[in-house]
Amino acid sequence: MRRFTAFLVAAALLLGASAASARQYTIAMIPKLVGIGYFNATQKGAEEAAKALGDVRLIYRGPSQASVTDQVQLVNDMITAKVDAILIASNDPKALAPVLKKAMDAGIKVVTFDADANARDLFVNQATFAGIGTSLVQEMAKQAGNDAQVAIVTSSFTAPNQNAWIAAMKKEMASNYPNMKIVTTQASGEDQQKALSVTQSILNSYPNVNGIFALASTIFPGSAEAVQQAGDTGKVAVVGLSTPNEMKPYMKSGVVKADVLWNPIDLGYAALYAAHDLLTRQGPLSAGVDLSLGKLGDRTVQKDAISFNVLLGKPFVFTPQNVDNFDF
Amino acid sequence: MSAPAANRTHRRWRVPFTETVLLVALALVIIIMSRLSPNFLSFYNFFEVTRFVAEIGMISLGMTVVILTSGIDLSVGSIVGLSAIVMGRIFGLGLGIVTATVGCLLAGALAGFANGIITTRLRIPPIVVTLATLAVYKGIALGISQGQAYQMPKSIYFLGQGYIGPVPVQLILFAVFAAVFIVVLRRTIFGHNVYAIGNNETATRFAGLRVDRTKVLVYTLSGLMTGIAALILVSRVSSARADVGESYMLDAIAAVVLGGTPISGGRGGVWGTLLALFIVGFVRNGLTLAFVPSEVQSIFIGLLLIIAVGLNQISAHRGRSS
Amino acid sequence: MRRGNARELSLLVFIAVLAGILLVFAPRFFASKNLVDILVNTSYLAIAALGMLFVILTGQIDISVGAILGVCSTLAAVTAKAGQPIVVVFLVSIAAGAILGGFNGLVSTQFRIHSIIVTLGTLYAYRGALILVTQGAWIYNVPRSFNQIGLGDVLGIPNPIWAMAIVLVVGTVVLRYTTWGRALYAIGSNTEAARLAGIPVRRVLLGAFAANGALVGLATMFFATRFSAIQSTTGSGFEFVIITAVLVGGANIFGGTGRLLGVAMGALLLGLADSAFVFLKISSYWVQAFQGFVILVAVSLDNVSFRRRRATAAERNRALTGGEA
Repeated sequence: MRRFTAFLVAAALLLGASAASARQYTIAMIPKLVGIGYFNATQKGAEEAAKALGDVRLIYRGPSQASVTDQVQLVNDMITAKVDAILIASNDPKALAPVLKKAMDAGIKVVTFDADANARDLFVNQATFAGIGTSLVQEMAKQAGNDAQVAIVTSSFTAPNQNAWIAAMKKEMASNYPNMKIVTTQASGEDQQKALSVTQSILNSYPNVNGIFALASTIFPGSAEAVQQAGDTGKVAVVGLSTPNEMKPYMKSGVVKADVLWNPIDLGYAALYAAHDLLTRQGPLSAGVDLSLGKLGDRTVQKDAISFNVLLGKPFVFTPQNVDNFDF
Repeated sequence: MSAPAANRTHRRWRVPFTETVLLVALALVIIIMSRLSPNFLSFYNFFEVTRFVAEIGMISLGMTVVILTSGIDLSVGSIVGLSAIVMGRIFGLGLGIVTATVGCLLAGALAGFANGIITTRLRIPPIVVTLATLAVYKGIALGISQGQAYQMPKSIYFLGQGYIGPVPVQLILFAVFAAVFIVVLRRTIFGHNVYAIGNNETATRFAGLRVDRTKVLVYTLSGLMTGIAALILVSRVSSARADVGESYMLDAIAAVVLGGTPISGGRGGVWGTLLALFIVGFVRNGLTLAFVPSEVQSIFIGLLLIIAVGLNQISAHRGRSS
Repeated sequence: MRRGNARELSLLVFIAVLAGILLVFAPRFFASKNLVDILVNTSYLAIAALGMLFVILTGQIDISVGAILGVCSTLAAVTAKAGQPIVVVFLVSIAAGAILGGFNGLVSTQFRIHSIIVTLGTLYAYRGALILVTQGAWIYNVPRSFNQIGLGDVLGIPNPIWAMAIVLVVGTVVLRYTTWGRALYAIGSNTEAARLAGIPVRRVLLGAFAANGALVGLATMFFATRFSAIQSTTGSGFEFVIITAVLVGGANIFGGTGRLLGVAMGALLLGLADSAFVFLKISSYWVQAFQGFVILVAVSLDNVSFRRRRATAAERNRALTGGEA
């Protein structure tokens, strides 16, 4: 309770102080949900950027589960709290659009990261869906062969990112790996235990499966654990997305050889820099303009169907050789 | 009708006390929250808060009646998703927004009806039935939608995003429904039956009242209200998804219980629920405006729930012994 | 006792039918590896379900167990990382669970608040506190000895299965042959009569809640130890699975009836169904609907016990809370 009171006092003081000092920007950062290592990493990056810029007050707030309605409510309250900009990884591109549009109408800059929304000033894209899908399939082919029999374990059938990756994967398979076959797609929520038991069931019921795609940071460790426990290290390839820290033990034991991701710390860093740029630039954004992303360098703004976006780069593949260089 | 008469004396004595406490609590909350953030105390913010209160509120209205009969409905979160998906699917098939709206409400009512029938015919306690239907309804919604979200047309936005004058549309809708519920519970035979069943179901049955029929009606009503909540929600976020509304169940039950209706039913009512809804709504909103993180808010709400109900219990016992 | 048998019998038939379908359409289900996997995954559920049975027998409920699981998982992992011996890790997890569960019981009995409300409040509060303290961070790099608990085996049988077997035996003995165990049934059947018979109702209830928490703490040791990282969202939704297992297993939600065997079978059925749907190649989108349906059928199988209890439910509630619940 004392921590809570102290927090309140600090918040009150800060609110008072910010009115008096030089132009401080209050930027709200809203992940899909809190309590996930991946988003903690984006927070770290954003805090680093805020410190480097010096005139940003970062408020990192998110719902305790990946809920659309909780996020909408949070954005709404941030509008009332008169923040200057909102960084958001949306739980649903369509559902968040009305409230984000409301924010933009109120003069708040809206930057999406990780998961896009249908209304925003700018989208900081870590890697294209196509890029991720292609990387995943290519890594799988390297480990399990071009004619691998694969199973997909996704988080939820309503998750837009995962669905987009699956679509990109299918396209890549159809174009370049026509003999690769998806035998089944299962969902395990954001639950490691469920990912473990689902993967076990898959391994037990489809004995010819020699590749598992694990499409979320909460799933990959569970699936890898299942393959390891089944003694199938080396026989069944596990490829997916997760943070390096979670996959280190599995890389050490040889179960996992590739972890496709990008650097979420850089993503958070870039998103904050982008928002700051939008707040301080003279004149509107347009295609071809270079956005300065601090230590990451410049990125060129591209126009898209909704507004504009910047691309951080290609997906990064963590391997047993380089995974120790990272700590998130 | 001696049971309802005793009820009325009971209620006139006790309920005002609970509601007075809640009113004081609400006032306190407003004062504290306005101290924490300069953006809290404004008509704009109040109306924004009521948008969310209205949705949970619709569900809570139905839930109040269910809990009054000593029952419970754990499946409301899934019914929201199911109704939303049915609406999206019907619209997606090109059958028009009006048909889709009717479909949404019908789906909710049918789901509630199923809950009521199963619990009365098979004589399975509502907590058990709705625990099972929670999974079934969510599953059906997922199966129909195949994980997709349906985009809804602009014509429906008015309900969830529009204003009549300065007042959000759903607030007006909610106020109307709340008033109807208050009147129905206090002044109709149905309302008296509801309280009677919650107080002593066996006695009510022996008194010749149609307990089962009332119960089925109660659950159907709860389902219908949930369908309405889904309609407003879909119009607010302009899309329909299967997993929307998952977190509503706990919040709806918390509002009813916080409002002074005991979990075993028999007394309490809509006024208490309304006050509790606003208290929780303003607490969450005020804390968010003060940038307090949601996990701290959760702790707060959890403790608030226990303390408030505890106080209510203490007052109930003190009243009885005199 | 005859009524309890009816539910177990029905469950057995149900499981047999499911097995029959699997035998025809997916015989690979019966490979020993798969069956062992299912048992291991069900073990921690069964252990926690015993605790929940204690509470439900008395006519109460605890819906905060998911949050308790999360807290115990985090504490256990932290303790292990701090280099403490395994015994200490066990003790920390069990003690933490007992304290959190005991708190639920204390508030319910002292302030006469129905446990569903108290535990609804602590569900919010415990989870919030966990995320607040951990700042949402996950616990990585747990020592190998920690993982050995959940992944190791003795005489070829995995540790979790041993733990489940031991707990089931001890649990059955406690429920059938100790006064404390019998007191649980008595309180659930007719609290006033139990009180008049001299049973220290409040103390027994407190014990039931604490025991529930402790068993969740024990279950944690065979759940969390199977992962290399502990999420702060661990345990979300756990309470529903546990309560479903207990109810499917034949325990009366109003208390007074329920056997450990039935509960264990309930947990097993849920674990089997989960795996079965993957084997039967049922479209993943419809799996949840099927699972719900399975639960619905299972709880409808034998509702005679519910009919019996209904009449006295209101009176029991009143007796427990002193009049007005």
